Amino acid sequence: MANRVVILGVGLHPFGRHPDKSIGDMARVAALAALKDAGVPYKDVQAGFCAHVNQGVAAGLRTFGQVGMTGIPITNVELACASSSRAAMLAADAISTGIYDLAMVIGVEKMDRGLLSGVGGREGGYNESMGINLMPALYAMWAQRHMHLHGTKREHFARVSEKSHRNGALNPNAQYQKALNLEDILNSRMIADPITLYECSPTTDGASAVVLASEKRAQQHTAHPVFLDTWVGGTPQYVRGEPELSEGPNAVLARKAYDKAGLGPRDVDVAQVHDAFSPGEVFLAEELGFCPVGEGGPFVWEGNTEITGRIPINTDGGLLSRGHPIGATGGAMITELTLQLRGLAGPRQVEGARTALMHNAGIGGVNVIVLKR
Amino acid sequence: MPETSTTPKRVPMRGAHLRLTEGEEPALEGCRCPQCGDVFYPPRSICLNCYHEGLDSIALSRRGTLYTFTIARMSLPGALVTAPYVIAQVKLPEGVIIPTVLTGIDPESVQIGLELELVVEKASVNAEGAEVMTFKFRPA
Repeated sequence: MANRVVILGVGLHPFGRHPDKSIGDMARVAALAALKDAGVPYKDVQAGFCAHVNQGVAAGLRTFGQVGMTGIPITNVELACASSSRAAMLAADAISTGIYDLAMVIGVEKMDRGLLSGVGGREGGYNESMGINLMPALYAMWAQRHMHLHGTKREHFARVSEKSHRNGALNPNAQYQKALNLEDILNSRMIADPITLYECSPTTDGASAVVLASEKRAQQHTAHPVFLDTWVGGTPQYVRGEPELSEGPNAVLARKAYDKAGLGPRDVDVAQVHDAFSPGEVFLAEELGFCPVGEGGPFVWEGNTEITGRIPINTDGGLLSRGHPIGATGGAMITELTLQLRGLAGPRQVEGARTALMHNAGIGGVNVIVLKR
Repeated sequence: MPETSTTPKRVPMRGAHLRLTEGEEPALEGCRCPQCGDVFYPPRSICLNCYHEGLDSIALSRRGTLYTFTIARMSLPGALVTAPYVIAQVKLPEGVIIPTVLTGIDPESVQIGLELELVVEKASVNAEGAEVMTFKFRPA
């Protein structure tokens, strides 16, 4: 039987604008925090996985190298906005099959100001010349379809951002720590109908680090482990005549994760979902099975995803408020859920959380992870 | 003496899969699998349904319906269109979805289900003097 994998340590470099810092500077802060949290020295780490998207050649060496030079294998991992959750899954694969006892994931990104972009890479041509490569437009078109089919209102989407900003105000590592009311959000500049500026995740500089260990190794350090229990990843699958209406095969992978973990949506106490733009949480509330298809709008509107709601989502502010340094985001999701399951999330704590679900998506690549206490 | 021509050569913009045959109405070019019949846009080499290699090039229907859309309120650097403009997905009778932009309609009045038709426009002239053609959709 495969070894269980423990999330032994987590750490972040605060998310925000850090033009004066290198990726190595930010990675070092996150990595040292995670190692301290884990209670292990760097020399015990047997493998490093560095998640980033646009940081150039050998970013793994430039980040892990800031912490030490112990000769370990280091692998760079890229899956767009889902890079560091995929890096954690690769580390977990290796630990569960007995290759390593202790591995570390660093996620890091420095980004340009402006909106998230780059759907088509830098290929140019029709989509670029005709202005189609506008990232929020993709979410906006799915949102329009959702409104058409299910009567969802733009206020429902805006509610996601209102809740995220309220949660972000409770998170000292968040890029935005200021609550916004619904009118602020609805009246901010329209970007792509129905998505306004305050319904778009920002571009962000930041780093996350996660130390993963085999259950046996973890026993030396903690009596109350949080497990990376189940992880599944995938990419879109062709279905005749069925265009994609969200960022990847979310529902399929969620079902797989639930089956593998031996639980269902009702067993989840707290979740992290990929809210790159506010409609994301509405779609994912449905796709992850928290509410019936088509009812995500009212479900969010009624407060079910608040910290005190039926299924708290993005308690740390999510991509919208915590920020979205694309290579570091998955690690930040793991960090928040680990704190929640340890009962150490402070004013954001979900009472008695024991089981958590995480969804991280990157231009079609999707990871769904179950964490258990 | 330079040669003069009343109909300059027309070529599709890269990524705009247009069939520009002289004497025929311009159309988008898709492909159909000779084995299972599935149709694809943009054209591809291997069938996503049955993995047959070597698909037949076909001219797609010039008319379709609006599947979904948004009004872009900001212009992208280097783009030929300026805000506000309508980014759209158009569903053709063959079942394929075409990402495109709309023209000839007030953005505020656009609704899902709208009947649309293909329109071909000159985007630029290339170094060889050929007209580089792009496409949009407009109300039918």
